[in-house]
Amino acid sequence: MAVQSPPAPTQAPPAGGRTAQPAPGAPPGRRLDRVAAALRQTPGQLRGVLAVLAALILGAGITGMTSILAKSAVIEETTSQSGRLSVAALQLYQALSQADATAASSYLTAGTPSEDMNEQYRTALRDATVALATAAGEVKTAADIELVAELNARLPVYTGLVESARTFNRLGEPVGATYQEQASTLMREQMLPSAHTLQENALAQLTESRDDAGAFPYAAAVLVLAALGTLLWAQMWLSRKTKRTFNLGLVGATALLVVFAGWLAMASVVSASHTGRSHEDGSRPLELLAQAEIAAQQARAEESLLLIARGEDQDAADRYTEHMNELASDGGLLDQLDEAFSGDAALSDQIDAARDAATAWSNGHGEVVKLAQEGNYTGAVALAVGEDEASLQTSFNALNEALTSATQTSADRFAEATADAQRALSGAAAGLAALSLAALISAAVGIQMRVAEYYA
Amino acid sequence: MIRYAKSALAAAAACLVLAACTSPADMEPPEVDVPTPLPEGVDFDPEASPAAPDTSCDPLASYSPGSVTAEQARATLDDPDQISIGISQSTNLMGYRDPETNELAGFDIDIATAMVQAVMGDATKVRWVPMTSAEREQALADDRVDMVVRTMSITCERWENVEFSTEYYHAGQRLLVTKDSGIADLAEMTADQQVCTGASSTSVGNIAAVNAEVQPVTVPDFNDCLVLLQQGTVDAVAIDDTILAGMAVQDPTLQVVGETFSVESYGIAFEKDNTDLARFVNGALAAMIADGRWQSSYDKWLAGPLASDAAALTTKYRD
Repeated sequence: MAVQSPPAPTQAPPAGGRTAQPAPGAPPGRRLDRVAAALRQTPGQLRGVLAVLAALILGAGITGMTSILAKSAVIEETTSQSGRLSVAALQLYQALSQADATAASSYLTAGTPSEDMNEQYRTALRDATVALATAAGEVKTAADIELVAELNARLPVYTGLVESARTFNRLGEPVGATYQEQASTLMREQMLPSAHTLQENALAQLTESRDDAGAFPYAAAVLVLAALGTLLWAQMWLSRKTKRTFNLGLVGATALLVVFAGWLAMASVVSASHTGRSHEDGSRPLELLAQAEIAAQQARAEESLLLIARGEDQDAADRYTEHMNELASDGGLLDQLDEAFSGDAALSDQIDAARDAATAWSNGHGEVVKLAQEGNYTGAVALAVGEDEASLQTSFNALNEALTSATQTSADRFAEATADAQRALSGAAAGLAALSLAALISAAVGIQMRVAEYYA
Repeated sequence: MIRYAKSALAAAAACLVLAACTSPADMEPPEVDVPTPLPEGVDFDPEASPAAPDTSCDPLASYSPGSVTAEQARATLDDPDQISIGISQSTNLMGYRDPETNELAGFDIDIATAMVQAVMGDATKVRWVPMTSAEREQALADDRVDMVVRTMSITCERWENVEFSTEYYHAGQRLLVTKDSGIADLAEMTADQQVCTGASSTSVGNIAAVNAEVQPVTVPDFNDCLVLLQQGTVDAVAIDDTILAGMAVQDPTLQVVGETFSVESYGIAFEKDNTDLARFVNGALAAMIADGRWQSSYDKWLAGPLASDAAALTTKYRD
């Protein structure tokens, strides 16, 4: 196709074809007339075809690139273990529950909590403050900012009450128990609900962006198909007009767009299957595990409060039952986790271990209540927070360890799957942009060569 | 055309980047209430029903000891070798766990132990059953316990469900304040001062009867009153002097002031119709009061924090 004959002279443009361009100051109606006039002539038609092609290719390129960028961002957001609001909010909720459970049980050790318990309490507070600071940097809505501010205002009040409780307890003054109860009330009635709302808001925002990104990039697909169709039509039209079979530029553009379409489809399918799977196999089980840990911590806090009130707090007893049922009853969190992990032997084993520990704890709780009701308060406390093998502290720790290691395993699996998906998407956005640009240039060159022949 | 396309692409990319970078960072700082820790169920505007004098019966008249023997009394027990007694283990100075020894101690426990000694002949043949005040009547009806010694006021309403001993302590509402508050009496408190009490409508009514201006605040668990006083949320606590004594000993900056402005007569409760045990216990109580054991227990637990002599007991029999 190196030698191309000029088109039929009858179709030659009038001299000074460029004058067909509208004058800068021409009124719009007049300008449209001129464009219409130009389009009736072949070079004008060629330019028109190029304009349509350019718009379609550009549109396909930009929508394809942005949809891939959005998918990649969502995968990043759903998986990254730090620096994200949903993760920070969940960690905050967990850390606050843990702080309260530890503060309440350490109160029972009569003012002299073990070094382990002190360490646990301080660690939980550290985790809570770090999560709160992270969340503060990530919140985007006025409602969330207010929640974070409220939590920030209340955390020092909570710790103040806990320290007062400890001091009075050390002095042997029973009013310490009331301070501890007030601290737990503040936590239960105000702080945990705020943390929970923050977490739900974050998850709602995440689900929204996940739905957006999981959708197939229809706009890009339609545009790329339209561009391909137009290219094919233009080539047929040109070959009829010029009696030459191929226009190298347009053929190149077609090939590039086909590669573009393939890459876009592949990247979309990979990312859609990942976002779907990551929700089902990854983030949903992780959420369930976190809920289970929180339910366990809250049940533990209520159990301690019941003993702090010398068994005279029916509300605490009821709340304990509620949290325990949430965790271990039929269809409870452990059952849901069993179902979610049914195909994974390692995780199933960890959930079984958690269930055994929860059962041991629950049975022991009945024994503690019985001892307390019979007046053997010392025995009840020793069974609840003692350090020997049979104490509830042992089963509670075992439950926690099982849930923590399941969380770790689950998070690792999730991270592996995500790394695969991210590799598939990496470079896709840039590649698609480059391909569409190359296709555009190729088509433009091909058409421009035809146009140039009229002025040769 | 190509140049147009290039610049259009560049513009589109720039828009994208800009859109991604823009975030609503310029929001107003949020308004957050000053966090004041408050107990669950606190009521700053409780209903005050004036305590109508209870005239439907003579609540203090119990059964005369007569000639009931310890053996007859033991025959009424569910377990003849062990008497079970409902008590509190969380009411400081009355019935509570000594935090150092974890043993039960207090004025109620002293009274109950003396009764165990009298009925069983051995103060260790007892099973202590801690319970809340709401459980007391039901625990007797269900045979969970043989008697209840737990700051329980004798009222005509309760006489319907249980039997009572004679009065073993004459309690009443007084005022607990900080030493530097200058408050000496409920009557002199003003409309901008708050006084905390338990969530029973009669205790609010008793306060209103003396001082209609002062603002009552109620909490379900009266221990919260002490915390609210220490935190400065309320200016005074007005509950039974026995409870106030238990609070005053925990904080050297607090004191019990003023006159008693209500009457609560504590009695030992028994299962309805178990009059044999009631009669025998009444005899044992009278003996305890007569030989000075009652007084020494009062001196041990309550005389110091209340800084006053015990109110005289009414011992009255209906037959």
